Amino acid sequence: MTEFKSESEFREVMDRTFALMSEDPDMGPKLRDADTPQRFEFTDVDLVVNIRAGGPEEPNLSWVWTDDIDWEPKVRMTMSSATANRYFQGKENIAIAIARRRIKAAGDVKAALAILPITKTLFPRYRAMIAADYPHLEG
Amino acid sequence: MSEAPASKPVLTLREVAEQAGVPPARLRRWVAQGLIPQYKGEWTPEAAAHARVVARMRERGHSLREIRQAADEGRLAFAYVEDLFHPTDTFVTLAEAARETGLEPALIERISTSLGLRSAHAERLSEDEVQLLRYIAAVLAAGFPLVAMLQLVRVYGQALAQIADAEVRLFHLYVHEPLMHEEVSGLEIAEQMENLARELLPLASPVMDQVHQRFLQHFIEQDVVGHMESDLDGAAEGLGRMRVAVAFADLAGYTRLTEEAGELEALDAVERFVEAVEITLPDEARVIKTIGDEVMVVGSDASTLTDWAVGFQSMQTDRPLPRIGIHYGHAIYRDGDYYGRDINIAARVAARSAGGEVLVTKSVVEHAGSHLEFDRIAEVRLKGFNEPTEIFLARIPELE
Repeated sequence: MTEFKSESEFREVMDRTFALMSEDPDMGPKLRDADTPQRFEFTDVDLVVNIRAGGPEEPNLSWVWTDDIDWEPKVRMTMSSATANRYFQGKENIAIAIARRRIKAAGDVKAALAILPITKTLFPRYRAMIAADYPHLEG
Repeated sequence: MSEAPASKPVLTLREVAEQAGVPPARLRRWVAQGLIPQYKGEWTPEAAAHARVVARMRERGHSLREIRQAADEGRLAFAYVEDLFHPTDTFVTLAEAARETGLEPALIERISTSLGLRSAHAERLSEDEVQLLRYIAAVLAAGFPLVAMLQLVRVYGQALAQIADAEVRLFHLYVHEPLMHEEVSGLEIAEQMENLARELLPLASPVMDQVHQRFLQHFIEQDVVGHMESDLDGAAEGLGRMRVAVAFADLAGYTRLTEEAGELEALDAVERFVEAVEITLPDEARVIKTIGDEVMVVGSDASTLTDWAVGFQSMQTDRPLPRIGIHYGHAIYRDGDYYGRDINIAARVAARSAGGEVLVTKSVVEHAGSHLEFDRIAEVRLKGFNEPTEIFLARIPELE
């Protein structure tokens, strides 16, 4: 089974993934425009990240690894780090993952649905990243 | 410095009259009456195209006054785009085409009808059409069964007709009509549309080719998976028959929404719904067709399709809520669609469901995974069926 070596490795991979999304010339501006604040809770590594569109002079996405924020996330997702890894590889169907309780979703889930097509281009880039730097996460 | 535009070929009066199917004297009269504004002392392709439009409009019973008014308003401008297709002037007879391709004349007529070729109603075929028949003959000669080829040809015809219809309608709605509302002259509209169409037309085929290649790759992969799984099941369904999971989904209260919120808002809701279905479907399932607000989905695995449906429902937050019915059984695959009793059962089960629900039959429950719960609703007599059908509500188990 593919597993992150540590909580800090998971956080490092997620930081790089969010940066890929934010800096991508196509995906980044679209995600900024969609402006869908989301909260992700990763149960097994006990981490929470809140992510939203950046301000006018900031990068496209802004995220903090805490619940100490002064804004309300529109969508809340709870999953394990392994599910997150599979999702970013394009191997986890979100509707099926919800039915199989691998992902718990709350809030305006429809808003999350709307940004799914935008983030699809991330999957090959994520796969390339883990193949190069985290091969134990492939599969 | 830009290059001077190449001069357009000039046609003779006789050639234009032949193309339009009217006597030369009538053409001269139309010119004298100002019905062919593009005619400036010579028959350019634009003037000839307009003459053909006038002839067609006359055949359909429109008066000269009506035609002149329509041309002034730019309503006939789309017709000039036809000129970009370079109609061929080389034809062969049906018998010659049969000899050339080795296909029976009756088969050529059948193929022509399916593909919407002009030869379906004529005794002669263009060189392009004969080339198309040569390709089909080569596919048959390579060993592809005739019964399958005829179905494929029908699917090509229907799908491409839908694509061409969409291209023309969208061009009309988003290019032609806005130009007409700008109140520019009919001639100017025609010119702008022809220029745009001239740039767009060559792009259509490569785009379609790319999309086709991608889908082909996807469905080959799915077919390999499906084959493996059906072999494991030991299923022998018979030629053209296969085991499938079928879901019908639509929006509960769509008619009321149309009445209350208006057609455009209701249509937006349908578009969002169909798009949400498409982006969330698992790889092994696909949308076969949409009829109004109804979507028909077919997949190879009842368990995965049910999981999708339940997960999809739990992602819905606002009205109108979808309602979904699923059945697992046998279907006959023909002309790109699925038919049979089990397909009808799936549609009837969906009709029984309420907004937010996923109703399934017993065959789905028997093939579903353990992560869902199924509440038996009732044994009901579905419309059109004599035997009762057991119906279950599929849902995610509540946390203890």
